[in-house]
Amino acid sequence: MRLHPALFVLLALGAAGADAQSLSQRGFLEARLQVYPQEAESDTRQVFGDALFRQELAWQPSGWFSLSGAFDARADSDGRVERSWSLDWSDRGALRPALSVRRLSGAFQRGGIRLEAGKQLVRWGKADILNPTDRFAPRDFFEVVDAEFLPVTAGRLMWERGGDTFDVVVSRFTPSRTPAPESRWAPGPGLSVPVPGDIRRELEALGLRPLSIIDAGATYPSRAQAGARWSHVGQGFEFSAAFFDGFNHLPLIEGRLDPAEGAIALTRAYLPLRLYGADAAWPFRWLTLKGEIGYFTSRDENAGEYGIYVLQVERQTGEWFLVGGYAGEFVTREGAEPQFSPERGLAKTFLGRASYTIDANRSLAFEGAVRQTGKGAYLEAEFSRAFGQHWRLTTAGTLIAGDRDDFFGQFRENSNVRVTARYSY
Amino acid sequence: MMRMKRARLMLLGVVVVMAPSASAQDARQIMEEAQKRTEARSQHYEGLLQVFDAKGKASDKRWTFDRLGSHGTSKAVLRFTAPAEVKGVALLVVNHPDRASDQWMWTPAIGRDRRIALQDRSTRFFGTDFSFEDLEERDVSQYDYTLDGEETIDGTPCWRVVATPRRTKASQYTRSKVWVRKDNYAYAQIESFVKDEIARRLHYRQIEQVQGIWSARVLEMNDLRRKSRTLLTLEKLQYNVPMQESDFTLQALRRER
Repeated sequence: MRLHPALFVLLALGAAGADAQSLSQRGFLEARLQVYPQEAESDTRQVFGDALFRQELAWQPSGWFSLSGAFDARADSDGRVERSWSLDWSDRGALRPALSVRRLSGAFQRGGIRLEAGKQLVRWGKADILNPTDRFAPRDFFEVVDAEFLPVTAGRLMWERGGDTFDVVVSRFTPSRTPAPESRWAPGPGLSVPVPGDIRRELEALGLRPLSIIDAGATYPSRAQAGARWSHVGQGFEFSAAFFDGFNHLPLIEGRLDPAEGAIALTRAYLPLRLYGADAAWPFRWLTLKGEIGYFTSRDENAGEYGIYVLQVERQTGEWFLVGGYAGEFVTREGAEPQFSPERGLAKTFLGRASYTIDANRSLAFEGAVRQTGKGAYLEAEFSRAFGQHWRLTTAGTLIAGDRDDFFGQFRENSNVRVTARYSY
Repeated sequence: MMRMKRARLMLLGVVVVMAPSASAQDARQIMEEAQKRTEARSQHYEGLLQVFDAKGKASDKRWTFDRLGSHGTSKAVLRFTAPAEVKGVALLVVNHPDRASDQWMWTPAIGRDRRIALQDRSTRFFGTDFSFEDLEERDVSQYDYTLDGEETIDGTPCWRVVATPRRTKASQYTRSKVWVRKDNYAYAQIESFVKDEIARRLHYRQIEQVQGIWSARVLEMNDLRRKSRTLLTLEKLQYNVPMQESDFTLQALRRER
């Protein structure tokens, strides 16, 4: 679905007409330079640049009603962003949209009841690195280990009473964005075999057309998905129980040879999924223990039935905030392969995160994951510094290592360093 | 059975009123009187936070602060309004008369709230010199008091009271010294100790009456170990502003303004 730009203009005009007390806005312009020291088999380019402009508006004309909007504009140097300038609402394209609505929702609030309808972010779960119960939160996996959450078009009813919150969500399906075929992050073995550079050169030397991989589109579910969550906050503990009936926002990818194009055509299918999940947090004297589990079933036999669980501890000590844990998986029914699933790819893994606040303007963060088999790992380090009221400069590096048949290992040519400058206002 | 009077240490909150009375009061009476004079149904202010590191000024932040209720049953929401990159980050503090508060922090950029565990309360709050614990309002009944002497602060005679938490495990501080002005029972200064070392010094400045309540308009928190300080200026300070209970819940915390 494409949203006519006039709708966004209307939002802006409506907000502009509001009195200053009820209107708030913020935004940023961010530019990023990313360098990959190694060539990848599927993409030999090593330097990338991209930019993101985000404008957010919130208008609260009365105590019981509010309107929120957010708009993204993107550009890049390498074709991962669409070159079309129409405003995107659905987030279903294979590429990142150049112009998109990130949020446009109206919320009604009365006492402990809140109803929000429109495009919005919906987050479930308590764990920090992997959230099996977070079913309304598709992500942009263009760079697999650094994935931003995508909004969904949904109606959400929340009822808070004492320490209990009941949350019911009905949404239109939004898929996670998978790495573009033939991009650096296109998944390797078991999914779509990128044509290695030397074979490509040999084919060209023989005068043969090199085989390429093309995106042949996706089949999207037509029905809505729904879920409910009950959360309880007690004295010294919190827990939630969740149920979801919808579709996996991570696709099953099918490939077929297209002789006319001399290419392998990939199609994405999103299989039905049902979740029974729970999460809990217990703050103890020395640390906080968090757990989250999701058991997934499906009426489609191509989809596996499995459970993913996360057990983590976190502790703040001085200026350090430390998180460490384990993500596990158990399978009760094998599904068809190949499937692109960073979620399951992160399972059977030890996970950790550490952040350090140096001072009011500077911070340091590390995040890492190591497969229990030792076959794959990644480590990310980030240093960030604010300058004045508006500027922030972030330098970061990601190191990925492992065997080709490991989820992390398949991306081992994608270790990279990046510099990001952001102007917030 | 007589109900015990409650009072509390109000670090970010306010300061007190009324004429002083006797000089022979004991420490608990002083603290209870100081508390009594800060009673208000609600409080609102817009805060300007200026953080100075050892080399000079480091950053400015702004927040709005709303508190509903009084004494150990109050609830407060603190929401950052500037700089832009932290705008919307919010903290909900639910105070209890008999134990440490419950706290949750909302980070809109990731759409998640996080409970601030008790062991995390000694951490600095968003790079300022206030710790999470400094943002809560503890009931006077959670401390034992001794009168430690008298001293002049900013030219005003004060009682110096030593407050020792009864449940030491629930506080990062071993004890605190509280200077209470004799003329109006307003707090003038608090020094908080970790073991025998002064960790933080909170200095109440520009004390004036707002709607009949003596209130410090500037709070200066010094982290003596880091040699840094944070100035909190209270702008548009008001008491007894109409507020709703439903604005002080986890769901309300997630509502961006």
